[in-house]
Amino acid sequence: MRWKLIIDPVGRPGRDNMGLDSALLRSVQEGGPGSGGDAFLRLYRWDPSCLSFGRNEPATSRYDVEKIRALGLDTVRRPTGGRAVWHDAELTYAVAAPCHAFGSLRQTYLAIHQMLAGAFERLGVTTTLASRRSGRAPRPSAGACFALSAGGEIVVDDRKLVGSAQVRIGKAFLQHGSVLLENGQDVVSGVTMGTIPRVCATSLGEVLGRSIAFEEVARAIALEVRERWSGSWSEESRSPETIESDKFGDVSWTWRR
Amino acid sequence: MSNIPDELRYTEEHEYVRSESDGVVTIGITDYAQGELGDIVYVDLPDVGTEVAKMDVFGTIEAVKAVSELFSPLTGEVVDINTALDGNPSLINQHPYEDGWMIKLRVQNLATIEELMSATDYAQHIGE
Repeated sequence: MRWKLIIDPVGRPGRDNMGLDSALLRSVQEGGPGSGGDAFLRLYRWDPSCLSFGRNEPATSRYDVEKIRALGLDTVRRPTGGRAVWHDAELTYAVAAPCHAFGSLRQTYLAIHQMLAGAFERLGVTTTLASRRSGRAPRPSAGACFALSAGGEIVVDDRKLVGSAQVRIGKAFLQHGSVLLENGQDVVSGVTMGTIPRVCATSLGEVLGRSIAFEEVARAIALEVRERWSGSWSEESRSPETIESDKFGDVSWTWRR
Repeated sequence: MSNIPDELRYTEEHEYVRSESDGVVTIGITDYAQGELGDIVYVDLPDVGTEVAKMDVFGTIEAVKAVSELFSPLTGEVVDINTALDGNPSLINQHPYEDGWMIKLRVQNLATIEELMSATDYAQHIGE
């Protein structure tokens, strides 16, 4: 496997971040120009801060659209499932690779989270992977992404440190997720209509008892991933030119449900 | 071990096909697939009357942590969809081969069903 590590030097709006992740997935799926059978790990942040909805989440009935507008929050709908996330003080990772890179869906989820757990260990944060829950799943309308752990999630004292989601198209997958540097998920609760789920999130800053920068976490992940995932690695200082941001900047996509 | 009924046919993408009468087949995802996906929260199915070709994407399925495409194992016309899944997608987790079915397809060429994997072949495919 030829891995490309992309550490995005600047924060981007939600539409561009989702457009880039989507373009990386398509690149792997098509094995097209620029991909050459490559796989990608992208580390990035958001500017401005952004509220993202899951692909099938009923955002129009779950969240207060007028309040979101009044607060001037940027919004985007992800290509992946799950529930709403407030992207502010965080490092976001995205892995786009052929499905066979790690095996089954669960093996993929586990491999990526084990790698992240190793990176956090380098930073002095010991985490555990949550056991698989029993019982019924929450519907897409059930509340914030960080309100519960789905099994295989990275947690500290039963509080979620990373929220991840995956999409598989053909023989390629994209998994991306938020590593919280500070905990600001109350924003999701603040714009939720009806019953507000209890948010059980924590952050690297909270666990460490100090503030931690994007660059410090990115370095730890870059070191860990080269040790864990075999293949050749190259690092790129900028993201690919192709950004599929049109779809993700379209309000009819963002507010389609 | 996953439940792999002998009388069904299977695809590499983990859909199953059950032959009904009048050239109609029932399609859903296998017990193995629902186990891999975990708790299913949403299913997007086509409208009745939609024509699909073999290996066309006919819908998407969202589990707690993954969205996947659904591929049609055969060419034909969608003649029924399982509307119960709209309010209760967990039927797929509970009874993938019964109440958790997804679409019924009137197949263009019945002989193509024989091209799909047998239960034995599918068990090998998933390593069981």
